[in-house]
Formats: sequence, C-alpha cells, structure tokens
Amino acid sequence: MFGLEWYLGISLVLFFVGIAVILSRKNIVAILLGVELILNSAALNFVAYSRFVTQNLDGHIFSLFIIVIAAAEAAVGLAIVIRYFQINNTIHVDEAKELRG
Amino acid sequence: MEYTIANVAPIFLAPFFAFALNCLLIKKAPKLVDKVSVLGILVAFVFAIRIAVDFTGVANTDYYIHKVFTWFDLGETFKIDMGIYIDNMGAIMLLMVTGVASLIHIFSTWYMKGDVRYERFFLYMSLFTSAMLGLVLSDNLLSVFIFWEIMGFCSYSLIGFYFEKEKAGYASIKAFMTTRVGDVFFLLGILAIWHTVGSVDFVSIYNAVQAGAFGTTVSFLGMEVGLAAFAGVCIFLGTIGKSAQFPLQVWLPDAMMGPTPCSALIHAATMVAAGVYLSLRMYPMMVAGDLLNLIAMIGGITAFGAATIAMIQTDLKAVLAYSTISQLGYMVLGIGVGSYNAAFMHLITHAVFKACLFLSAGSVIHTVHTQEMPEMGGLRHKMKWTWIAMWCCTLAIAGVPIFSGFVSKDRILGDALYTALHAGLGYKYAVPALLGFLGAFLTPFYMCRMMFLTFHGKPRDQHIYDHAHSEHLKLNQNVPLLILSVFTLGMFFSGSLTGLGKIPAPVVPTEWFKTLVDSPTNNLERFSTYTKQQFGSVDTRENRVLEKTVYDSEAMTGYAGPNPDNKDGLHHAHVEGAIASVVIVACSIFLAFLMYIRGTIDPGKFVKMFSGWVTALKNKYYFDEIYIDVIIQKGLLKFNNFLAYVDMGLYDRYAIDGWEKVSRTLYRASRWFDDNVVDNTVDAFGVLAKTGHAVLRGLQSGLIQIYFIVLIIALAIMTVWINFIV
Repeated sequence: MFGLEWYLGISLVLFFVGIAVILSRKNIVAILLGVELILNSAALNFVAYSRFVTQNLDGHIFSLFIIVIAAAEAAVGLAIVIRYFQINNTIHVDEAKELRG
Repeated sequence: MEYTIANVAPIFLAPFFAFALNCLLIKKAPKLVDKVSVLGILVAFVFAIRIAVDFTGVANTDYYIHKVFTWFDLGETFKIDMGIYIDNMGAIMLLMVTGVASLIHIFSTWYMKGDVRYERFFLYMSLFTSAMLGLVLSDNLLSVFIFWEIMGFCSYSLIGFYFEKEKAGYASIKAFMTTRVGDVFFLLGILAIWHTVGSVDFVSIYNAVQAGAFGTTVSFLGMEVGLAAFAGVCIFLGTIGKSAQFPLQVWLPDAMMGPTPCSALIHAATMVAAGVYLSLRMYPMMVAGDLLNLIAMIGGITAFGAATIAMIQTDLKAVLAYSTISQLGYMVLGIGVGSYNAAFMHLITHAVFKACLFLSAGSVIHTVHTQEMPEMGGLRHKMKWTWIAMWCCTLAIAGVPIFSGFVSKDRILGDALYTALHAGLGYKYAVPALLGFLGAFLTPFYMCRMMFLTFHGKPRDQHIYDHAHSEHLKLNQNVPLLILSVFTLGMFFSGSLTGLGKIPAPVVPTEWFKTLVDSPTNNLERFSTYTKQQFGSVDTRENRVLEKTVYDSEAMTGYAGPNPDNKDGLHHAHVEGAIASVVIVACSIFLAFLMYIRGTIDPGKFVKMFSGWVTALKNKYYFDEIYIDVIIQKGLLKFNNFLAYVDMGLYDRYAIDGWEKVSRTLYRASRWFDDNVVDNTVDAFGVLAKTGHAVLRGLQSGLIQIYFIVLIIALAIMTVWINFIV
C-alpha cells in the first residue's frame, strides 16, 4: 500500500524541513537539530532503497552507521556550543563570525 | 747506533726551530736571539758528529739510511715520498756544514755586535743553515729543490742585509735573479726525470740509470736530445747558477755586499756548496748523458778566468770572492774528469779554509774599518792571531804540501792530467787540464799578494794603522779562526802528512776519505739493494752495512773517470801532477814575494805590458756589460716591450675593451627586457591577486548560514547540471 514513493516523499520533506530550519533559525542548537533532520532523511532513503530495490541489509547497516555518526556529531557540536557560550555568553549564530575574511 | 727520526731529524730541525723561536723572540726578548741561534746549530753539530763517527767507523763498507714518509698521495702517478737519505758522503757533508756554520755563528756574535739589525741577522743565519742541512739530508730532488730555493731566499736577504746601501739592494736582486736562471732549468730537469722514472728520489734515479731508462731521446726545440743528456744538462745548469760557474758567475762577487760572516756562510758551507753537492749526487746521470767533457770545460774556464780577475782586485773580500769562484771551478773540473772523490774532498777542504779566510777578512775589516788593501799593510803586528790563521788558509788554498788544499786540488789536477794524457780520449780534456794548471799557478800568486798587501810591508795608511786596535785572544773572534786553521792540515783528510798516502799518520792509518766516498758509477749496483723504510722503524748499523761491489754497466756510455785498474798510469799522472804543481806553487809564491815584499819586480810593468787584458780584468771580462747592455737591454727589454705591447696594445685594447662593448650591449638589452617584460608580468600577477582577493573576501563573511546557502545553491546547480545538461 505504501510504495517507495511514499518513503522518498517523506525523506524529501524531512530534508527540506531541515534546510529550512538551518537557514531560518538563529539559535545554534536549533541549527544542529536541522542537521539531525537532514541526516535522518538520508538514513530513511537508505532504508527505503534497501527494502524496495536491493532487497538486502546493506542500507540498514549504513543507516545504523549514520545514527552512530549523528550521535557523535551531536555530541561534538553541543560541546562546541557549550564552550562557545561559556566564552561569548551567547549562542546567536550571527554573533559567531570570528572567521570572517 | 740505532736510527730513528729522533736522532736524525734534529740536525735539520734544531736550527729550524731556532729560527722559528727567534721569530717570536725578536721583539719580546732580543737579547736571547743570538744565544738561541748558536745553541740550535751546536745541537745540530752534536748530532752530526754522532752520525759521522758512526758512518766513518768501519772502512771498506758502505753504510746508508733511507727513511721516508708519504708527503702527499694523489694516486699511482702522483705520489711524493719525502725522506731522509744519508750515506757516507752525506754524513761527512753534515759534519762539515754544522761544524763550519757553528764557528761562523760564534764569530758573528763578535763581528755583528752593535749592528743595527743584530737579531735579524741570526734569524736568517739559522734559516740558511737549516735549509742547507735539509738539502743534505734530502732523499729526492724535489725536497732538494725546496731547500735550494729557501737558501736562495736567505742569500737574497743576507746579501741585501744593509739595504740602506743602494748597491747592496741591487746586489741581492742580482744574486737572486742570476741563480733563478739556473733554478728554472733545474726544475725542468726534475720534471724530465720525474716523467721518465716516475719518482725523484736518488736511489730510484740511480736504479733507472742502471737499468738504462734514460736511453730514449726527447725532442727539445726541434732537436732530438738524449734524455739523460737533457736532464743532466738541466741539473748541471742549476749547479752553474748556484755554484757561480761560468757563465752565471756574476752574482757571487756582488754577494760580498752582505756582512762578512754571511759571506763566509755563502761561500763556504752552504750556498755554493749546494750546487756542487747536487752535481755529485746526480753524477751517474752526468755520466750516462756523456756530459763530463762539458762539465770539465766549464770548470776549467771558471777556475782559470776567476783566478785572473782575482789578481787585480784591491778589495780584500773581492779577492776572496773570486778565489771562491775559482775553487768551485776546480770542484766542477774534478767532477768533469771523473774525480768524484777528490771533487768532494775539495768541497770539504775548501769549505774549511774559505770559511776561515772570510772570517779572518771579517776580523781585519772590523778592526781597520776598510776593505781596500792599498790602505792596509803591516797589520801582522796588530793582529797576530788572525795573521796566523789566515796564512794557514792561504797556504791551504795555494796548494802547498802538508795543507789540505794540496791533498784535494792536486788529486783533481792529477786526474785531469791522467785524463788528458793516458785515458785515450784524444785532446778533448787537454784544455781543462791546462786551464786547471794555469789556475794553480795564479791561485798562490793572488792569495799571497793579498796576504802581503794586508799584513806585510809597511803601513800604507798610518792613520788607519794607528787607529786599529791590537788584537787579544777572544773566544768569539780568533778562536773560531784558529780552530778552522787547524783543520787546514792535509792529514785530517788524507791520513798522511804529504797527502800522497805514503806516510801513515798515527791518527788515521787509512785514506778514509778515498775509501768511504766512492764514485757511484764504480758500484752503482749497490743502490739496487737499497730499500726505503718508513719512519718509525728502527735500523741499526749491523743490518745496513753493505760490502762494496764493483759495477760495470752497459748503460754507462760516457767517460766515467779514471780507470782504477790502470794503477801505473794513475800513479804516474798523480806523481807528475804533484811535482808539477809543487814547482808551480813555489814559483808563484816566489814571484809574489819578489813583487810585493822585495819590490825587485814592479807589478806596474806587467800592468803596462798587458794593459788591454788588465782593462778587461778590471771590467770582469765585461760579463756585467754583456748581460745588462746586450742580453737585457737589446734582447730581453725589447722582448719585454713587445710583450707589453701585445698585452696592453692588442689584448687590452681589442679583446678586453671589445668584450666590454659586447657586454655593455648585452646588458642594455637584458635590462630593457627586465624592466618591461619581466616587471610587467610580475605586476600583472599582483593585480590579479588583488582583484581576486577583493571578490573572494566578500564570500568569507564568517556567517555560517550564508555559507550554507552557497552550498545549497552550488548543490542545486550541480544537480541540475548533472541531470539535465550532461
């Protein structure tokens, strides 16, 4: 009843929602959440193709790796955010432009 | 005795270290300089006595040391071993040089006292002596040449010692340049030998001569010359320059511009002896090249010509200078007639009596403050000891029996007579023998004339006579003279009172000189058993003594001296020669006595009779004029000007200046290229970077969301590109 198109559609929605979050929010933590959404949309794609196209477990294993990496990335990202907050007393993304050329 | 570096090297090193130490002391402690110098030469003397006693100890054997170290090694073909080589001749030579030089050093402490550059004089003397000792110890021609040149420098410094006097400066330059002519040929000879033998040490050369390695010819100035003759002539030219032989004798009379003790050193122990010593060392080469007749001619001409000039000199030292040239001529004549042993003996005896004569002359000059004999006369009352010493030496140089000159010179003359009459070589050798005997007539005459004018008769200049101090026996004035004059007795050299080997003296029962110093051509084979040893190895007398062997080689094509088997002929020639020369000497001395003591014969008559010749003699046979006016002014100066024109007129003007123009043009072109092309290219890169920077800088905003938008847009473009266009 739900074919591959449904999964890809949800994945697409998730991806664009993530991009919208990254572009629109000014809170760094919220941007990190957007990144998580994009990662999950990619993981969903893997699982969907695995289920409907290749019929094996490769995609599942990839998505498991993505989840682990996402967790690690979130941990590192949040640590950077906390450290940044301790120094600058803000997590507003427009304030963080020390790398400006 | 055991030989290591420790008991041979000090002979050379003690005077050399004295020199080096004096270089440091001369400013800080000038009082020590003369003592250090004298001590240095005395140490060398002690070591030389040790060696000489050891070498001359057992007769009829031949004893040698040959030790080497590698100086530098650039592969098979270019390896130089430096080393020490002593045989009987070298040992006797070392004893003579150190002994005479130490007495001269001691005398100098009296003679040079209060001189302006007292310390510097001893500096040069030490270096001079050490160079001579190094030359005697050398085992190869290359180190001989090095020491040879050091001596050349020292003689230059000592002759020009009173450089305030213009004449002394010119005399030193003259001596240096004249000997340089011979030195260039000497170096050429060394190179010829090196090219042929592959080594320059004496033993290798003797072996090569024995093996006939010099049989080939070389092309020289378009002529085919035998290699042995070529190398031999080149080396003999070195001797001609150093030992003041005809035609390079001009420097030696001027060499007396230096202080008198240095003249004694130059004329007796060191400088001029080195030339004869070299010819003796290279004697097999001379024989192989068949050069003995040439050598005899040169020696004879020198012996006679210099003696004639000495007859009319009025300067005390000039008489002695010409007598040195004449006596060196006898040595060379001795080499030329194959009288190896006698030539070397004459070198030794001459060194002793000529050193004594010069030191005595120094003693006289220092006392009367003039060198002109016409201003002296009657000095025997004031200078008793000098008078005795000088008479001994005069009798020795004149060849009076009992004295050493008779022993050595009459052996040379006897061999010359034998060669001329009995050797069956035609009359090639008659001229040298005749010149030798004529010189033997003149020698006693001019020497006695000098003695009579200086010491006998009435004082000709009362003022000078009155101001001369009466002489007392002084350790550093008369004692060296008296020591030297003792050794003018012939028995020290021949072992017999008459010099004929008839009456054995109690001290030395054999003719040690003749036994020990033997011509290498008689037993050249023994050199093939000589071996080099590295320094550090010990050798003793026992494993170094060789029985003499008689050698007869095909390689010896030339006349190699009197045949020792022809005992009758030799004996006759020597007896005839001895009788003739005794008669000649007696006549000559009697003539001088009549002329200068009795006054029965007026020398002025002879001067008038031979006025043309006397003028030539006064101008030293015009040699200076020939060299300066003809060879230098007409020849070399023109050549020099031509070369200067080639250098400055042609080469500088066209090659150097032309090249300057070329490089100036090249410089302009490359400068234009640099200014316009290269610089603009560089500037363009700068502009590019600046513009690119302005553009790219705006992108680097530091705002992470802007980066993200750029990323998304780029992704979108790539997606569209990949899906729809490609």
